[in-house]
Amino acid sequence: MATIEILSPIVPAAAVRFLGNEDAYWRLRIKGAALVVVTLGIYRFWLATDARRFLWSNTEISGDTLEYNGLATELLVGFLFAVAILVPLYMVFALVMLELGMVAIKPVLIGFALLALLGEYALYRARRYRLTRTVFRGLRFDQHGSPWRYACYALVCWGIVIVTLGLAYPWTQAFLERFKMRNTSYGDLQGGFEGSGLSLFLRGLPMWLLIVGPIVVALGVLSAQIDWDALSRLLEKGDDDAAKMIGNMLAPGIGIAIAAACISFIALPLLYPVFQAVKLRWWISGLRFGEVAVTSRLRIRQVYRVYLRLLLYLFLLGLLASIMGGMTVFAVVSIVNLIHNATLTQVAVGAISLLLYVVVMIGSSTIYQVIVAAGLWRLGADTAALTGGQALDGVRATGSASSALGEGLADALGVGSI
Amino acid sequence: MTLAADPPAAETAPPRGPAIYFDGTCSARNDVSVEAGTAGLQIFSADRHLLDEWLYAELRRQAAPDGVLRLGRNGETLLARLEVRDAALAAAIEDRAVTLDRGGAAERKLRRKVVILSLAAVVSLIFTAIIGVPVLATRLTPLIPVSVEQKLGKAVDSQIRATLDTKHLGSAFVCGTGASGAAGQAALDKLVGKLKTAAALPYPLRVDVVRRADFNAFALPGGHIYVFQGLIDRAQSPDELAGVLAHEIGHVAHRDGTRTVLQTAGLSFLFGMMLGDFFGGGAVVIAAKTVLRSSYSRRAEAAADTYSVVLMRKAGGDPRALATILERVMADKDEGIKVLADHPDTKDRIVAINASAPAGVTTPLLGAADWAALKQICAPLPASGIAPASGTAAASGTPAGGGQK
Repeated sequence: MATIEILSPIVPAAAVRFLGNEDAYWRLRIKGAALVVVTLGIYRFWLATDARRFLWSNTEISGDTLEYNGLATELLVGFLFAVAILVPLYMVFALVMLELGMVAIKPVLIGFALLALLGEYALYRARRYRLTRTVFRGLRFDQHGSPWRYACYALVCWGIVIVTLGLAYPWTQAFLERFKMRNTSYGDLQGGFEGSGLSLFLRGLPMWLLIVGPIVVALGVLSAQIDWDALSRLLEKGDDDAAKMIGNMLAPGIGIAIAAACISFIALPLLYPVFQAVKLRWWISGLRFGEVAVTSRLRIRQVYRVYLRLLLYLFLLGLLASIMGGMTVFAVVSIVNLIHNATLTQVAVGAISLLLYVVVMIGSSTIYQVIVAAGLWRLGADTAALTGGQALDGVRATGSASSALGEGLADALGVGSI
Repeated sequence: MTLAADPPAAETAPPRGPAIYFDGTCSARNDVSVEAGTAGLQIFSADRHLLDEWLYAELRRQAAPDGVLRLGRNGETLLARLEVRDAALAAAIEDRAVTLDRGGAAERKLRRKVVILSLAAVVSLIFTAIIGVPVLATRLTPLIPVSVEQKLGKAVDSQIRATLDTKHLGSAFVCGTGASGAAGQAALDKLVGKLKTAAALPYPLRVDVVRRADFNAFALPGGHIYVFQGLIDRAQSPDELAGVLAHEIGHVAHRDGTRTVLQTAGLSFLFGMMLGDFFGGGAVVIAAKTVLRSSYSRRAEAAADTYSVVLMRKAGGDPRALATILERVMADKDEGIKVLADHPDTKDRIVAINASAPAGVTTPLLGAADWAALKQICAPLPASGIAPASGTAAASGTPAGGGQK
């Protein structure tokens, strides 16, 4: 059934398609990655802009493609602004830490929360930047809403997710997505989000039970075996045998705990693509613009294929790096054996390992970007369809472009995305 | 104006073709025909009405999929767009409008400029890191009040102690605290007192011997010096220990700890903030920082060695004792690696110390009884049932003059 669905011709008026050629994207990414390394990172703004131009331009909705008209220099300026804001902030931080003593846990926690808040703020503003640089049929997208409010909501949501061991994640996601989409517009067409937390929860629950469930059960079993009274008595006495005592009490449950951990560790990578597929499909199907609704026919095994390709390419990269590394180290060692200089050997081997490390890191990031990030983008587009697409024909212009400060902050804080 | 013109007129007739036009106020898609005239594009609706006229000079190429020429206008507030899929028309427009950067030559030139300027920035950054940062840190260090430095030392102290105290000895980690180590502590205080008097530092010194088997000693900002038990064990005369202490006092006097903090902050700023957090870039930054820091520390070590020689002469001790103990430890291969990691070019250091210090007979800074007590400062552990560190018993049993391999 599913195969027929994919192969069947798409109704043009309601269609979303990705036209991009993967080889072209590989070229763009590899060339960009090399320049990013050479310029110690400055080129990343140009690479990001090129990548966005490619992805946007090749995404066709109802016969017309998107256009990204942001400029790399805007990202650079935004980044510099962010640095100007963050430098004094970091300095104040350092001074406060010094004043209170570095081991004090409270300032560290507060600092972490502040950074997280700033990160979410940056993400929201970066989204605004990207939307206002997205043009479709001669009109731009826009985003309103206070980024600080979003950041506070997001932080509270993360807190709830952590406290509920992830069970509340679907509702928090639906809430945040609703906030974002209700503040999003295309011309005078108001955005919205109709994905329900419950539906994502029901789809995600089996996965949660397989991944988090065993650990919860194991913890429960283990804590049931501890004789808490005896333990507290021991701790009061300050006896060194407390650890041994706990060990004795836990011994029968250790097997269960190990088994549970094994189940979780096996289930996590196996189910991760399922989670991504379910979430992506839920998200796309929830998107609304006025009368226009999006539906997704994304299949789980399509996402699996993406991740299997990722594994294959990463494996090949690892193989290549090991062969290259092995050969150069062998060459260097044989040369140095002729010279007899220990410092030179250390320097040479250090330089080679650093180079290999950079190649492997930037290589795997490039592979991830092409295969997973762009791959899921393509899948999401190709499996999406519009209902009520005729509403896209009579949209009127509103809004204006925004600054790239959020984008720069997100970059400086390391929370950026595509 | 008809499309079917006769042959001679076709040469002069402006190129014409179909295109898609969005007016920028409404998302409606307009199928239009475009005529590439002499000064600009004329956009005609399906029923031959002139919709818009765009001058070539204001045309701007916008991102589009392959095979589509997407045009916008410079300085527009509305985002009107013209999409040309007709290859002949697109070529004709590109011929006439210079601003469109056919083939992307201008863009490539811009990119090349970015890459070259970035490389220049990287080079100047490296120079700043090598030359500018240490100079700046040296100038800034005296401006930092001693009280801040002591606070800094205190903040670092608890962390350092936690990382050093791998066996979780707690208060027993520092030697000479109990009754058993009191004599050793008194001898140590005597030795430190002599150096302190000679050094005349503006703030108090504190020396702690800690139960660590490796050969090491270091100073924190604010005058707190840690000496490892392994160093006491390997020292064969009070002057050797005093030489190492004088070296560490040199670090305190030069405020190297504070300077290191300033240098590290400067480097973090240069490499971490200004330059990229690209994937894998972190390792490059860490490697660069490590190399630079070790080059800074090499200079600081040399300065502290010189200080040690001067201070030992002032105190009346053997200024060459530091070189003697370094040499002995260097010969001990296993420990040598550890020392080398922190203090590169130990051989050069020994040569430099011996070159600046006059040879001659001096009386030891401590008497035989005091020295014997000091050697025992860590020997009997407080009764907590923890076995002494390996090698401690053998080393402490060796008399001060005895050869240690």
